[in-house]
Amino acid sequence: MRVLITGMGGELGTRVANLLEADETVEEILGIDGYPPRRRITRADFHMIDPTDRRRIVNVVRDFDPEVLLHLGVYEPHAHFGGTAARLNTQASAVSTLGAATGCPSLRRIVVRSGIEVYGRRRGAALRPDESCPIDPTDGFGRSMAHVEHLAYETGGIAGVPVVALRYAPIVGPSFPSPLGRYLRLPVVAVSPLAELPFSLLHQEDAALAAVAAAKGTSAGPLNVVGPGAVTASQAVRRGRRVPLPVFGPGWMFAAVASEVLGAPLPPHVRSLLVRGAGADGSTATKLLGVEPRPTSDVVDLLYRWSDVAQVTPRTGAVRR
Amino acid sequence: MSTNLLRGLPGAATVSLVDRRLRGSYEIDEWGLDPELVALSDPAVSLRWDIEVSGAERIPATGGAVLVFNRRVGISEPWVLARGIRRSSGRFVRTVGVVDLAPVGPFLRRFGAVVDRPDEIAGLLRAGQLVGLPMSRSVRATVGDLQTDRIEAAITTGRPVVPVAMLGREAGRRWRVVVGNPLTPKRRGGPLAAVTLTEAVRDAVQTLLDDATMPGLWL
Repeated sequence: MRVLITGMGGELGTRVANLLEADETVEEILGIDGYPPRRRITRADFHMIDPTDRRRIVNVVRDFDPEVLLHLGVYEPHAHFGGTAARLNTQASAVSTLGAATGCPSLRRIVVRSGIEVYGRRRGAALRPDESCPIDPTDGFGRSMAHVEHLAYETGGIAGVPVVALRYAPIVGPSFPSPLGRYLRLPVVAVSPLAELPFSLLHQEDAALAAVAAAKGTSAGPLNVVGPGAVTASQAVRRGRRVPLPVFGPGWMFAAVASEVLGAPLPPHVRSLLVRGAGADGSTATKLLGVEPRPTSDVVDLLYRWSDVAQVTPRTGAVRR
Repeated sequence: MSTNLLRGLPGAATVSLVDRRLRGSYEIDEWGLDPELVALSDPAVSLRWDIEVSGAERIPATGGAVLVFNRRVGISEPWVLARGIRRSSGRFVRTVGVVDLAPVGPFLRRFGAVVDRPDEIAGLLRAGQLVGLPMSRSVRATVGDLQTDRIEAAITTGRPVVPVAMLGREAGRRWRVVVGNPLTPKRRGGPLAAVTLTEAVRDAVQTLLDDATMPGLWL
């Protein structure tokens, strides 16, 4: 099996590559991203290409002729890039990669990263939609991912191959660059205790396992990958022994400015999550992919267990006096 | 840690509860229900309503089901149904019809309210929850209408529909909840299945109401 991974420079892409490297049935792995992998890769080939460099991406994809395309090149605003850059890179990466994939004769499966943000959180919307609910994104990140899904299904239709859209709950975890993770780890966190609804999360390792299972499986269509259970923002902050600061109405504008100054920008989709909540029914994905994500409360605890400073014990023989 | 040291002492349970709430170590589900908060508020709720439930054994012990209930003004009924069923069967009821507007919406969700949408109802039933579905308000001796598309969720998920009659006065304290026999929907009953089931459950609630009280007494 030849697998092409876009977004391999990110935490999720690198982990997926490592998992596929350990699988003997995967013969070749090729990765593309605008920045290098975050961990050592053993046998995957990596091409550092800017997501907007369409010509190079098309050439690399067509030359490789993948059997499975794992499109993880979806950039969350303020995770690695700013809001506009994330949107443009997501769009460019999807157009180039999926467009090139239509001309790959060996292609037999497409898996794309999406998110539960595609369901949107309009007033009165279902708080735990399943895959049959229509998508109606209400923020830029949701719209970006809905566009990626649309392109993937269009490509799948032209190439005559099944498409899986993995609709991840917000991914957080130790070392995973996420605006939500950074925000919740601030010492004082603005919350709306009287207006907040619960949200579900997904651990980075479960996201990677789901991507690998989808790449090797036979399922098709959208799949919600969500950690069971939910927490409210106030509850998460208290679990992390942070100080919750109640904020109402226009106070969020000041909170957003303050958190940006402190290094944790608050993009609209995260603000919506903290107040309007977000969840989805992940039972179908659990059944079809065989991956049981860890509960949301555990994901929150693991997020805060990440130490700010990693203490490395020196090896005895390596110390020179 | 400190709460373990207090175990067995008077007030230890309260200290432990406050400690859990402060640390955020309590459960809340995907729809916002906070079971601990429901238990905490129970003494206050019991001061307001005195509830008698009959036929609670007809509530499925596990799995999802729709409880269709009548209402008059509609303020007390959701609370009475939720508390009555919880105390008699040990199961929480998710009452449909919350306004998704802060702070009322999030507050009522803590006690089990959910928005009135077919996909939300279907999601709850798939997750094995009891869903309280109110009929439209009616101050007469006949029950109100029931929307067919809300009942469709029970058909698509294959969950039973249980008629429930609510007897009581908004200004009064005593309420009676009468649970009827569950109606099992036909999963492939065609376009008429939802309409037929809606009429059947509406008739069942009316019959329960008529049987439970003398004519005119409900008013």
